[in-house]
Amino acid sequence: MARRATKKSKKKRSRRVPRRTSKKKSSRKLPVPGFFRKIPWLKVFAAVTVVFLIYVTYLDFVVRGSFEDSRWQLPAKVYARPLELYQNLRLNADDFERELNLLNYRYAYQPKESGTFQRDGNGFDIVTRAFTFWDINELSQHIHVSFSGDHVSRIKNVRDGKEIALLRLDPVLVGGIYPLKKEDRKLITLKDAPELLPEILVAVEDRKFYKHFGIDPMAIARAFIANIRAGKSVQGGSTITQQLVKNFFLTNERSLWRKFNEIIMAVLLDFHYEKDEIMQAYINEIYLGQDRSHAVHGFGLASQFYFAKPIHQLNLNQLTTLVALIRGPSYYHPENHPKRLLSRRNRILEILLEQKVISPELYAATKSLNINIIKKRHVAVGQHPAFLDLVKRQLREYYPEEKLQSEGLKIFTTMNPVLQLDAEQSTRKRLASLDRQKKLNNKLQAAAVVVNSTSAEVLALVGDRNPRFSGFNRALDASRPIGSLIKPVVYLSALQQHEKHSWSSIVLDKSISIKTKDENIWTPRNYDNTSHGEVTLITAMTKSYNQATVRLGLEIGFPKINQVYKKLGGPEDLPPYPSILLGAQNLSPIEVTQLYQTLAANGFRSPIRAIREVLDVDGQPLRRYPIKVQQSINSDDINLITSGLVQVTKTGTASALSKRLPNIHVAGKTGTTNDTRDSWFAGFSGSHVGVVWLGTDDNQPTQLTGSTGALQLWADIFRHANTESLKIEKSDNIESQWIDSKTGLLSKSSCSGSMQLTFVKGTAPTESANDCPRSGVREQINNTVEWFKQIFR
Amino acid sequence: MKQLLYILVLFIFAGCATTQRAGVELPGEDPSKTVLPEKNTSPAVISLIEKARVATQQGDYQRAEVLLERTVHIEPKNATLWHYLAKLRLHQSRYQDAVGLAQKSSYLAGSNNKLIADNWRIIAHSKQQMGDQAGAVQAQDKARQFSGQR
Repeated sequence: MARRATKKSKKKRSRRVPRRTSKKKSSRKLPVPGFFRKIPWLKVFAAVTVVFLIYVTYLDFVVRGSFEDSRWQLPAKVYARPLELYQNLRLNADDFERELNLLNYRYAYQPKESGTFQRDGNGFDIVTRAFTFWDINELSQHIHVSFSGDHVSRIKNVRDGKEIALLRLDPVLVGGIYPLKKEDRKLITLKDAPELLPEILVAVEDRKFYKHFGIDPMAIARAFIANIRAGKSVQGGSTITQQLVKNFFLTNERSLWRKFNEIIMAVLLDFHYEKDEIMQAYINEIYLGQDRSHAVHGFGLASQFYFAKPIHQLNLNQLTTLVALIRGPSYYHPENHPKRLLSRRNRILEILLEQKVISPELYAATKSLNINIIKKRHVAVGQHPAFLDLVKRQLREYYPEEKLQSEGLKIFTTMNPVLQLDAEQSTRKRLASLDRQKKLNNKLQAAAVVVNSTSAEVLALVGDRNPRFSGFNRALDASRPIGSLIKPVVYLSALQQHEKHSWSSIVLDKSISIKTKDENIWTPRNYDNTSHGEVTLITAMTKSYNQATVRLGLEIGFPKINQVYKKLGGPEDLPPYPSILLGAQNLSPIEVTQLYQTLAANGFRSPIRAIREVLDVDGQPLRRYPIKVQQSINSDDINLITSGLVQVTKTGTASALSKRLPNIHVAGKTGTTNDTRDSWFAGFSGSHVGVVWLGTDDNQPTQLTGSTGALQLWADIFRHANTESLKIEKSDNIESQWIDSKTGLLSKSSCSGSMQLTFVKGTAPTESANDCPRSGVREQINNTVEWFKQIFR
Repeated sequence: MKQLLYILVLFIFAGCATTQRAGVELPGEDPSKTVLPEKNTSPAVISLIEKARVATQQGDYQRAEVLLERTVHIEPKNATLWHYLAKLRLHQSRYQDAVGLAQKSSYLAGSNNKLIADNWRIIAHSKQQMGDQAGAVQAQDKARQFSGQR
């Protein structure tokens, strides 16, 4: 065909030559204006040709660039941690169902296909999906999971009725690491796609796809005539190659110039690439829908988006429905225009029958089916920008940005997707209510970090009051004075001196003036502007007395405090200024988390991690980020400080927590900086560590203390975390005693003002308090309850 | 069934025992000294330990690592699991990590002196490999001390 065309054009040219000569001859007879004669036609022709060639070369460069990008850009996929299911796992049925929804598992009356489930009260009938992990591939299984209260009570295989000891669900896809464009792709190769898909596309969109040279001149001519007749643009006549070009440049402009460019680019693409390569790019590029600000491009993503299934699992009904959307995802919108979509799908089925792509039986069977598109659909991308930001930063230590955007790496992170969503929702709600309360004009900002205390894996991270906003990540970058959050470091440094200090030791809470290096006088005050005289260490700590803490810190000395701070995971040395003892040091929430993780893990510091493993595009292992622990502080000493931090949440500045989380023990410390510019709370349960910061970006007072601000959000998050109660491990070297918090002398659990605290054996007071103030009935009941909820193992 | 698994676990990591170095007794070379999973270990964890054993025998330490890390996610307070992880690190020549994990195991071990002794052996061996001869000898003494306290 092409050869014939060339011959024809040669013939034409050979005919033209004598005519031209004849014209030249006749020019003598018919004079033309002089200026016209003077135009050097050959040169003009040459110049136009050169310009045209340059332009074509330019288009070639542009279109090849876009094609290569689409071909090679396989953005890294980021997954949440997979949910491990086993008997006695702490998880309630509702949270489990939320996880299934995040995984796009669909409700089914009788689950048969993978990725479907049925819930009956506390029981779930599920057909899981198969998934490739680093260690073992999980197969699809039909299981029944029962819940009892806040834990999994039984998992059994539906087929043989046998108990299943352990099972891992596929992980929630959190998002991807993309180049600048805000789009998602779920790229597939042609061999991953159902065989029928290219056949349907060719039959419906471009019958001569495998024969033409990028464009179909006859189709263009037909469209041209139809458009002229209609007086407007009614037909496109675009080949698959042309549609692909159109998608690269994402413009809906309908002009001749654009059409001209599109035609040239399509021919160029066809010249450079194989038909199959073009088909693959088309399958991955074509625009098939919209999820808020995210465009749904490609059949891979569309298949997940509309049917919650990988593309290779789609049937004819589903494939033809997706193909129907090509003509206009909003025109054929499944909810807005269901009839249009159905009739377009039926038209496609007819075409397939006409073209003999499908049998009459299959045609009839499929045509009778309804279109079952999932209702609550979403593209799981870009939803947790703060967490993804942390993941990217930790990845960049080993992988350049380019590699992350292009090599299709699979990143398995540590995120608990349900907790992450809860943390985000809690932040949004709490900030709105605090803003209203304090009339802060939406200026109040927030950051929150939740990690697993043993493994230091980040489970949730919030960097903005609007968690979808991907700007300044306060959890990582807002470096603010930490205020009283430093106090456990000072008190731990003191308690490590077993002979000198215990919780019963007395410290003076009295005004103190210190000359600073720049010759100023620094006079710290207490929050209530009162000095309390001689107080026990435990009172000074639980009530967060500044003057007592400064005096204690000065006695211990900066080198010792700095040493403890560094061992806990402090990023840099503390400068030796007195104000450091009250938390003048700036730290980001994630840096504070590291300090408190070491406390929560009994002195075993683990680097805060957001990634478990990285696999390559084929699922082969590339890099692991293993659990690391380092014993940096003696566990017995940590148990001393922890028992004090528990009291902070029972009777001290964080006592609001005993009401907010009445059924569990937690430990923690509030922090408030000058003029309420920063509101902090850092604390831990038996399984989680959490740090919350509230403040404004321009460092304005918020009227929020650590207790009225950050603590409230911390409690909101921990209420959802299904967290374990804190227990203090006993050892041969430490013991627990009931102490009168005022005098530091031995007391009884039934006495008012007594606290259960940890002492190194031989350091607890031996003398008992003379009077035991009788507690009221209510306190007695509380004490009895307390007896049941012993903190100590 | 559980008993059978215990027997299998007896030989966990036995396949990767290294040669004894002068002065430092190696953990787990003598199967009678190999620590069994605690009796209340869940079937979920037992199933992972068994897979980790197979992976170790095949020399696939990285896979064993993933499997054992999954066990500590499930039972973070189970001292024996941290011990297995420490032992694996030892065989991966990641001595610093082995020390930390062995210490963690000992912290959680309570009165399980046999386990604590074996953890000290891991520490002794790691210290020696890291060139800390004095530390190795000290740890070895600790191992003997706890071995004697059965």
